[in-house]
Amino acid sequence: MKAIHQFFSSIRLTVLLLAVSTVLVFFGTLDQVHFGIFHTQQRYFESLFVVWSYPVQWPGHELLGWIELPLPGGYLVGPLLVLNLFFAHFRYYRSGWRKTGIVLIHAGLVLLLVGQLWTQLRQKEYFMWLAEGQSNNYVESFHTDELVVIDRSDPDRDRVYSWPVEAFSRGQTELRHPGLPFRLRVVGYAQNAAIFPLDQGPPNTPDLNVTRGIGADRNLTFIQIAPTFREGERNVTTALVDVVTPDGPRGRWIVSNVFRQRDPMREFFPRQTFEIDGREYEVALRFERRYLPEPVKLLEFRHDRYPGTDIPFNFSSEVTLGEPGSDNARRALIYMNNPLRYDDLTFYQASFAEGDTMSMFQVVGNPARWIPYWSTLIITLGLLLQFGISFVSRFYLAPAGRPTPASRDNTTSPTRRTTARQPAAGPLQ
Amino acid sequence: MTTERTTLLQRIVIGTVFLFAGLLFLRHVMPERHDTDFDIAAFLALPVQDGGRVKPADTVARTTLLVIANRTNVRDGDERLSAAEWFTEFALNPARAVERPVFRVEHPEVMGILGIPADDRMYVSLSEILPHFDTLRSQWESIPGESQLRSSYEAALAKLRDAIGLYDSLSHAYTGPPVLGRSDTGLRMLRRALRDRADHDPDSEEALTVENALSLFAGNFARAARSTVLATVPPPDGGDDPLAEWSNLGSVLLEATKTGNLDPLAVTYAEMAAAYRAGDAAEFNSRVDDAANLLAARGHAPGGKIAFEHFFNQFSPFTYAAVVYLLVFLAASASWIVWPHTFANTAFWLMATAFAVHTFGMFAHAYLMGRPPVTNLYTSAIFVGWGTVLLCLFLEKRFRNGLAAAAAAPVGFCTLIIAYHLSFTGDTVEVMRAVLDSNFWLATHVPTVTIGYSANFLAGSLAVVYLLRDRIFGGLPAPSARLLEGMVYGVVCFALLFSFVGTVLGGIWADQSWGRFWGWDPKENGALMIVLWNALILHARWAKLATPTGIMQLAIAGNIITAWSWFGTNMLGVGLHAYGFMDAAFFWLLAFVFSQLACIAVGWLPRLRLFNRGGDPEPQTDTPGQLPGHTTAG
Repeated sequence: MKAIHQFFSSIRLTVLLLAVSTVLVFFGTLDQVHFGIFHTQQRYFESLFVVWSYPVQWPGHELLGWIELPLPGGYLVGPLLVLNLFFAHFRYYRSGWRKTGIVLIHAGLVLLLVGQLWTQLRQKEYFMWLAEGQSNNYVESFHTDELVVIDRSDPDRDRVYSWPVEAFSRGQTELRHPGLPFRLRVVGYAQNAAIFPLDQGPPNTPDLNVTRGIGADRNLTFIQIAPTFREGERNVTTALVDVVTPDGPRGRWIVSNVFRQRDPMREFFPRQTFEIDGREYEVALRFERRYLPEPVKLLEFRHDRYPGTDIPFNFSSEVTLGEPGSDNARRALIYMNNPLRYDDLTFYQASFAEGDTMSMFQVVGNPARWIPYWSTLIITLGLLLQFGISFVSRFYLAPAGRPTPASRDNTTSPTRRTTARQPAAGPLQ
Repeated sequence: MTTERTTLLQRIVIGTVFLFAGLLFLRHVMPERHDTDFDIAAFLALPVQDGGRVKPADTVARTTLLVIANRTNVRDGDERLSAAEWFTEFALNPARAVERPVFRVEHPEVMGILGIPADDRMYVSLSEILPHFDTLRSQWESIPGESQLRSSYEAALAKLRDAIGLYDSLSHAYTGPPVLGRSDTGLRMLRRALRDRADHDPDSEEALTVENALSLFAGNFARAARSTVLATVPPPDGGDDPLAEWSNLGSVLLEATKTGNLDPLAVTYAEMAAAYRAGDAAEFNSRVDDAANLLAARGHAPGGKIAFEHFFNQFSPFTYAAVVYLLVFLAASASWIVWPHTFANTAFWLMATAFAVHTFGMFAHAYLMGRPPVTNLYTSAIFVGWGTVLLCLFLEKRFRNGLAAAAAAPVGFCTLIIAYHLSFTGDTVEVMRAVLDSNFWLATHVPTVTIGYSANFLAGSLAVVYLLRDRIFGGLPAPSARLLEGMVYGVVCFALLFSFVGTVLGGIWADQSWGRFWGWDPKENGALMIVLWNALILHARWAKLATPTGIMQLAIAGNIITAWSWFGTNMLGVGLHAYGFMDAAFFWLLAFVFSQLACIAVGWLPRLRLFNRGGDPEPQTDTPGQLPGHTTAG
């Protein structure tokens, strides 16, 4: 027990963890070239362990390709640092105003780490494309997809049944809901797919026996290909689904997140609908949506350039929030460094297309966004306090030309000495 | 330690050093002299619009030559032209300028295409390139788009292609394209045609002939209008609106073929060029005056900020500061061998001089940008060196012994050299992309992080001085060793404070702008690595996990991490901060990393102590050996 306490409270562990963190961050940066930020972030900073391997793209891969470096991931190093801080605090803390700075710094750090963990677990990133004059009441996820069945029988509102695709990548194939008179059976799934007409594929291309929808109309098939993790690329997530009623199967559809009804510079696909018991349903695999309480409408997108160049001088989008004509509709101008905050989401100007008539917003939801502000304030106060105390005691309290008493204390054990000296040896004393 | 008396010899040596620095300063600050009656300076003071802003033609002259030749002057046989003289000739007498060897060719095989023996020279003229243009064009097609994938041959080819493109895009800024093979009579022919058209009945046969001639002209002008990026004719009513778009000469001439009205400025430029080619200096000077008046009437008088930029260009404060930093280093190193106090004082005052000029240059550049001091990689290099020297001046003011000066001067010098090489990509006074358009954050987050870099480089550099002296040169007396340990410790503390606050301010900027505090972007990660490393050094020291030598080695490793964060992360081409991949820089980054690893390895050498002199100047202070953070136990 004592050994465990010794281990977790030792500054050796602190130094080791700081060194490991530095190395982890370094390799977690390098791999972004090949795997993109999002995937690398998951592998390195949202995991317990990670293995870095010599990239295929690097020179000398034939000789050095065997090199692999196992590292503890962010979810191991972070909690260990927090534990280490707590144990060290209770082992070394001696009350006194000279220690306030150190305590504040470390408390702020713990808060920062916890906030970062919370953010990593809960932060969602979406986007929203709007053409001028268009409005939309949902944002779409950058990374995740959902399989949906939409009941359009009510003219006022659609009823959407949604299943995250992660479910069937784990093998769940039967999707049911009490509100639906049928079930979906996922008979094929590809995280990333190549979709092409059956007759244009290579020999032995599997015939998936698609009977309904776009897949049947265009005689399509798909094969699974390696998922991409590059920045700016998205997997063509595709599934093959049967609609099965108690009376038997009603057809087979290919659903894919590229079968979109709207998007700049992309083909428009018809909705895939079918009728059961006189009601019309739509089936789709699409970017996961989050619906907003009220629609956002783009009034005007502006984009000025510096004269004679293509360098953007500014971009801005003027939008309204709320039902047009309603009393609480409000206007907002979204431009660089001035995002719109709405419904716990932050909308910022990210891109544009179609000759400056379409605007894209990146939309981020982060429930822990206030934490870094507080922790930063605390740490900065701590650093300044430590600095101030040491500065004052060094230059005003200690007699000039002689070492302070604390720095002459050579008699205690190494670790004791460290703590005894901490007030005199804090940051910027 | 012997006390020192200032001898006559010392006074002479020190006097010479300062005289040199003073004369060099005068040379920089005096207007450039041209060995001719043509008022070239006045011509280059005329404003133009290029790269999204209005600037003196002088800036275009210098940056163009830097980009295509990587030099500040042209050597043609025995003749030597300054950037200003070359550009004037290039703009006004293109037929002569094509003979000037200004294109830098960096690969023997590219020279081979041009039929020039590889070892002969590095510079070729456009007239030497043109006969081989088709071969070059076919080679250009095979250059990979991504610069990371290019071989050195392809990189040299691409560089030549870009240089020719730049040359071409500026060629018709002041003189129109040749008409019917004649470049000197174009204006006269155009005016004649316009007059004839006005004089004749639109339905007459003569008018038809004139129309045909004009449409021939128009084709040429349209091509020039498309290819020229340098705009020399402001709109008559633009005033000082920064977004008012100027016209280039080609489009002005094209407009004239339609409307019949020739912009008087275009006429003045043509007359100016004719006078220049005819060697008529008086006529040339009076036409330059006319052009200045016409520009002034449109709200662009060649004074004020334009004149200041012209002065700033030729003053070139960073070149001066770099030379003086070199002197500082020599003086500081000399202080360990002979006349410790005298040379330490010399180093300090030289450093103060260089720092004053460096500071002026930095703020002048910021004034020209209309932005806080750090906005791009170039200005960050200027600022990193500045911050390091500033910190060092505080240390040297207190402990006048040349140690901090010897550590900071190389950082100041190297960062300015880096900045100089970064300027090869074009005008350093760039317009700001909208994404960075926030003066508040540019003025807080960026300088704070950059001062963190400065402090880390100073700590690392002090550690290099410590190890090199302790192990190889002269040996390090105990008081100096302890002083350096204290300095490194204090500077690392400072570095931690600034790196941390700067990084977090960046996070807050990101949250304010993009709704997320931290995105694991390479630049953010780099900053985080610096913070982690500084914390590691401090904890290792507090817990006595490393000897003083070990701490020094850790501080030198901090140099590597800082260089990675500053430059390496930009080379990855990932994320929001990726504002420029530089392939040549990768080599230098690796070289720097290896040099620092070598310095770390020095810490494991036995003490050689070559050139042992026996002592250092005692710190000239009332608290000897006392420095923030200094402790007696090693």
